[in-house]
Amino acid sequence: MTARTALVTAGAGGIGAATVRHLLGLGMRVAAFDLDAEALAALPGGVLTCAVDGTDADAMADALAKLRTDLGSVDILFNNLGQSARDNSSRFDVSDEATWRFVLEISLLSTMRTTRSLVPDMVECGWGRIVNMSSDAAFAGDAGLVDYAAAKMGVIGFTRALAREVAASGVTVNAVAPGAIRTKAHDTLAPEILDRIKAATPAGFVGEPEDVAAAIGFLVSDGARFITGQTILIDGGRWML
Amino acid sequence: MSGRLAGRRILIAGAASGIGRETLSLFREEGANVAALDLRLDGAEQGFEADITDGAACRVAVAGAAEALGGLDGMVNCVGIDLEASLCDMSDADWDRVIAVNLTGAMILCQAVLPELRAAGGGTIVNLSSAAGLSPLSHRTAYCTSKAGLNMFGKCLALELGPENIRVNTVCPGAVDTPLFRSSYEDFQNAEERLSAIRARYAMRRVAQPSEIASAVLYLTSRESSYVTGSTLAVDGGRSFH
Repeated sequence: MTARTALVTAGAGGIGAATVRHLLGLGMRVAAFDLDAEALAALPGGVLTCAVDGTDADAMADALAKLRTDLGSVDILFNNLGQSARDNSSRFDVSDEATWRFVLEISLLSTMRTTRSLVPDMVECGWGRIVNMSSDAAFAGDAGLVDYAAAKMGVIGFTRALAREVAASGVTVNAVAPGAIRTKAHDTLAPEILDRIKAATPAGFVGEPEDVAAAIGFLVSDGARFITGQTILIDGGRWML
Repeated sequence: MSGRLAGRRILIAGAASGIGRETLSLFREEGANVAALDLRLDGAEQGFEADITDGAACRVAVAGAAEALGGLDGMVNCVGIDLEASLCDMSDADWDRVIAVNLTGAMILCQAVLPELRAAGGGTIVNLSSAAGLSPLSHRTAYCTSKAGLNMFGKCLALELGPENIRVNTVCPGAVDTPLFRSSYEDFQNAEERLSAIRARYAMRRVAQPSEIASAVLYLTSRESSYVTGSTLAVDGGRSFH
């Protein structure tokens, strides 16, 4: 059998890069998209990389068209792109619409667009795996992250409805919802916030990007072919679904 | 020994048939030392015979398994019984039996293995529940209720045992081609019609093979899920959308 092909969006850092490495380790041909060209260059050799802004619909369409030419078809898609408003996060009553739109665009609409480009090929060839990035913030409803929680719960609704549409075609669609994971975004948190996160996590520690990558490795395997429409929380038990 | 469970010592309850049997053979392939526990093993598998609703017998069996393997750092509970009955036709004894096996039995088993997992410095527990514990099925009040209880039991245990490096997760299969499942349609005159109605409930329009459930149990038992605890993973071809 020829190696499976996989695309990881936001694949240059944190959970994205860990997933790229994990899928490479499973013998797959892997492509990574990211805004950060320098970080893409640091990925292992053999990874097909493309520096592209995932919120730019036209640029993404071009990048995906080129990818399909280079790889033939994409069997596995990990929609990792997404973020909170970070420094612009605020209480809802003082938040602004431009920020909501940015968060929904990057976390939800980009996932829908990328999937829209790649899912017809998967359905046609009768095998496909889509894993979407949600967050345990959607379940816990973290204060100050209203737009992010809405987008990440939106990802779950999208995951379920699409899973039902394509289930009979050998394509599964699932989501992962990490909690506190040691990534670049996480490293910038204040120590007292970190302590609060740890206290709210039954496991008592912050997870590593590899913990999420391993769940994705499982969901895209043949062994997981009967799992679809699901969300796996990788959060040391902070929220139990 | 290599494999995703190399060196692990794992007790599998309900190992004589169905998902338990499949899990046992997969875990062996992945390098685990496994001990089987079931009501009756029929000589097919070396192991321990006990009724998990009998606390004393269960503790003896678990102690025997721990001695045979030199300790335990994992347990998979695949024991379960089904009951199809309308509420008004169901006797108290029918209800009690389902709750005793599917829910109280899991508690007894987990309580019995806990000292072993603690002695090992941590470990994993996976309980086999059902998608019927997430999303109801008609005429299965006792079964669905017992499985919903088992789901919450797993979460409570995960919360309590998280600090001790013991992870507890729950797998919720839909219809799986096992003796338990076959008994739910085979003996009926309209068996084929019943089976088609069951298939139609799933987005994938089919029932699962036991190996498709065992692979999820393997993930939740292996190191790969080291940050996953208290989760309820539906492996149901798209029915519960949990």
